[in-house]
Amino acid sequence: MKKEITLQTRRAFLRTTVLGGALSWTVPAFLSNTFSLLQAAAADSATQVATGRDSTILVVIQMAGGNDGLNTVVPFDNDHYRRARPKIGISNSQVLKLNDQLGLHPALGGFKAMFDAGELSIIQGIGYPNPNRSHFRSTEIWQTASDSERFEKHGWIGRYFDNACDGADPTVGVNIGRQMPQAFASKSLKGVSLDNPRNYRFISSERPMAGEADMMEQSFRGLNEAEDVNAGGSIGAIGGPAIRPGGSPLEFLERTALDAQVSSEKIRALADRVENRAVYPSSQLGNSLKLVAKLIGGGLPTRIFYASQGGYDTHSGQLGAQDRLLRDLGDSVKAFADDLKAQGNMDRVMVMTFSEFGRRVAENANGGTDHGAAAPMFIVGNRIKAGLQGTYPSLAPEDLFQGDLRHTVDFRSVYAGVLEQWLRTKSEPILGRKFAAFEVL
Amino acid sequence: MLKPLESARWDYSTAAHLMNRAGFGGTPAEIQKLVESGLEKAVSQFVFFERIPDSTPAPDWARPDPDRLKKLAAIRQAPEPERRELQRQEQELQRQRLLELRGWWLQRMVRGPRPLQEKLTLFWHGHFATSFEKVRDAYYMWRQNELFRRLAGGNWLQLLTEAGKDPAMLIWLDQAQSRKQKPNENFAREVMELFALGEGHYTEMDVTEAARALTGWALDRENQKFVYRPRIHDAGEKTIFGKTGNFDGDDLIRMIVEQPQAAVFITGKLWNFFAGEPPSRELNTALAEEFRRGGNNLQSFLKTMFLSEAFYASSLIRSQVKSPVQWLVGSVRMLECDLPPTPVCVNLLRTLGQNLFAPPNVKGWDGGLAWINTNTLLARYNEAEVLVEADSAVLAAIAARTPAQARRAQRRLRGRPGGVNVEKILTTEERADKDTLLAALEKRLLQGKLKDKQRESLRDYLKSKGDLDESEIRGALRLIMSTPEFQLS
Repeated sequence: MKKEITLQTRRAFLRTTVLGGALSWTVPAFLSNTFSLLQAAAADSATQVATGRDSTILVVIQMAGGNDGLNTVVPFDNDHYRRARPKIGISNSQVLKLNDQLGLHPALGGFKAMFDAGELSIIQGIGYPNPNRSHFRSTEIWQTASDSERFEKHGWIGRYFDNACDGADPTVGVNIGRQMPQAFASKSLKGVSLDNPRNYRFISSERPMAGEADMMEQSFRGLNEAEDVNAGGSIGAIGGPAIRPGGSPLEFLERTALDAQVSSEKIRALADRVENRAVYPSSQLGNSLKLVAKLIGGGLPTRIFYASQGGYDTHSGQLGAQDRLLRDLGDSVKAFADDLKAQGNMDRVMVMTFSEFGRRVAENANGGTDHGAAAPMFIVGNRIKAGLQGTYPSLAPEDLFQGDLRHTVDFRSVYAGVLEQWLRTKSEPILGRKFAAFEVL
Repeated sequence: MLKPLESARWDYSTAAHLMNRAGFGGTPAEIQKLVESGLEKAVSQFVFFERIPDSTPAPDWARPDPDRLKKLAAIRQAPEPERRELQRQEQELQRQRLLELRGWWLQRMVRGPRPLQEKLTLFWHGHFATSFEKVRDAYYMWRQNELFRRLAGGNWLQLLTEAGKDPAMLIWLDQAQSRKQKPNENFAREVMELFALGEGHYTEMDVTEAARALTGWALDRENQKFVYRPRIHDAGEKTIFGKTGNFDGDDLIRMIVEQPQAAVFITGKLWNFFAGEPPSRELNTALAEEFRRGGNNLQSFLKTMFLSEAFYASSLIRSQVKSPVQWLVGSVRMLECDLPPTPVCVNLLRTLGQNLFAPPNVKGWDGGLAWINTNTLLARYNEAEVLVEADSAVLAAIAARTPAQARRAQRRLRGRPGGVNVEKILTTEERADKDTLLAALEKRLLQGKLKDKQRESLRDYLKSKGDLDESEIRGALRLIMSTPEFQLS
């Protein structure tokens, strides 16, 4: 029953948006794949076909540069903390108290409100064994979910696409930004990346007068509609055989060209049509989440969105810099959650933040902190296991490793929890081995 | 298995294939000239590149700086806030040099007299994938680039050994920090896994023991070169690949290259890079045999490869996805226009996923189909416009980080000869008629034909324009570059 409705909705969506007005448009390969899969009653149950209406969605936010976890979730009453942070420590009168030991950074008002509403989970002491203090390498470790001494080609999100999203629309993963994050690297080459919907298109150099056709655009379409995909030519042919995987490079390019045209149209249409219903900070992150909210509201069949915020590498002058960044983070995510609530989509969205490492326990001589290890992660949603989770690592000097906090939870346990409980897929083939799934729901 | 191509098959299509793969492509006239040379001579021209003089000067900062160590120490010891300012200046200087280096190399690829040497340098850069992001020193990056160029077609044992002792590599894979008491396994592992043998052809024990053998290989930061430090070398007995002895780093690399798998591995990678797909097992065995027969010499191997019938299999011709560098350099060569200003080139390449001197990780660029996703394909289509039109406002906007920079850049770029000169690349006759024009453009840009339906779309575009003047022809160029077909070479 449910499948029927989904299929109907999708056909209607296709007719009205993608095929609307331009009958020369043919059914692109990925849609035909999606449909043949649906029609085979999702024969392979490991395959997740997103409909854009009812599947759960994960939004990953990268806090690039290594966020200082100690000043984010502050152990304000801890003597070791006070001693290690004489200049940049945050006092108990400033923190937004979570309990009698821990408080959020004063700029995280947005997070505090969500914490109080039971919509924020703070997982403490996240890290991995043999931590690497290079931004470059540690980011790679988080993105590929690899062991510290192993190099993996594909990202953990990419492996999710490979393992669980066969035949899905390329918009199953959407990165907001110019560069595809390594986390998206996959065998199946899924996922689209765009920094601005206005640029995610073929930009014709013609400026036709009103009512005139843009001949360059028209010719472009003709040049990029592969003949073999054209064969059926009508919506009735949708259930036909999908283009064989592993065809020639030219076939692959033709298919991608068509995917690009269709996803470009869809994304731009949604970005124009869907209105945001919350006020976001006018920051890069705020703008990214604004676009994500529009795409969710418009029903793009995406399972994972990815956005990032940079600048956390606070070797000096940390107080001002981190204040600005965390305020942006908290306010942007709060606005995003409000927007999704107004849309009625909050139930199916989970936001997860990560940073490549936390920072050294002891502050340095420049009012900043150097690269460290364990730090907290945040998860936002209204169906999550909210509150403080896990254990805050000990700050006692004898418990530190080279001046850094020792992790109490492996980040891959959190990935495993998110994959299994939220995205409902087996985590082992994606993470390479079994990690105890952290309870995120 | 590796019998030479019959001379009857040496024609425009096979010559273009050689030019695309052993170099960065060329114009119809250049391809025609190659056809007339005949296969043997054509291949020799590419392969024995040292016979062609190349007098490109190195960037003027590309030499060791005797004061560098002192300068870096002074920055570290400076009080705040000078320290921060000095550090910023140092980073800016390195960034500036890196930018210059990128432009310098791209220019060599476009105009240099030895295309195969540059193509091989690009191959080795991807193979030994070392990034400025960690090395943070433009001089070291240049030095490594020169090493790849110097030994591009040399002996594999020598290249692998020198690549291991290269300062950028010593930093990149942490060998510079390895010592007897605490051997670092990073280089030891990658030299086997990624550079010479491949996974499954060594044991974890081999890695641990190799790391011990390699201790003593160090970086002399004062003179900015490799140094062997016996004091930190572990002179004890090691067992590697089942042999026991008092091995050092040179022994290790020699033992690696002596493994039968070594020739299989590197010839497979070379074939994949130049031919566009991994060789069959049978072909790979033949390639490895040929390589070993030639004493692990790259040049003679490449000659056999480029002469072989297998290299010109019809399934290989025009079926390789252009790398972003191939796309950019090849387009500029085909269009006979100038490279855009370096900051623009860097931006275009980064958007397409190939930022020179900054490969994404130790494994280098995946290449092949991985270059293409919906975003990079649309970016190629739109970047084609940048090359064809070279509009100064657009170039300025791409190169700049702020509106003020963009305005300054635009003033600088004004008056720069922009875009494709259609009179240079097309004869009067070719420009006179829409059908002859399309045929000439297809030959130049695709070395082949569009599908009928595509040509129809293009003809419709030209028809809608009336007279054929520069802007219509540029429009047609850009449209042909905005096809799946153009992304292949």
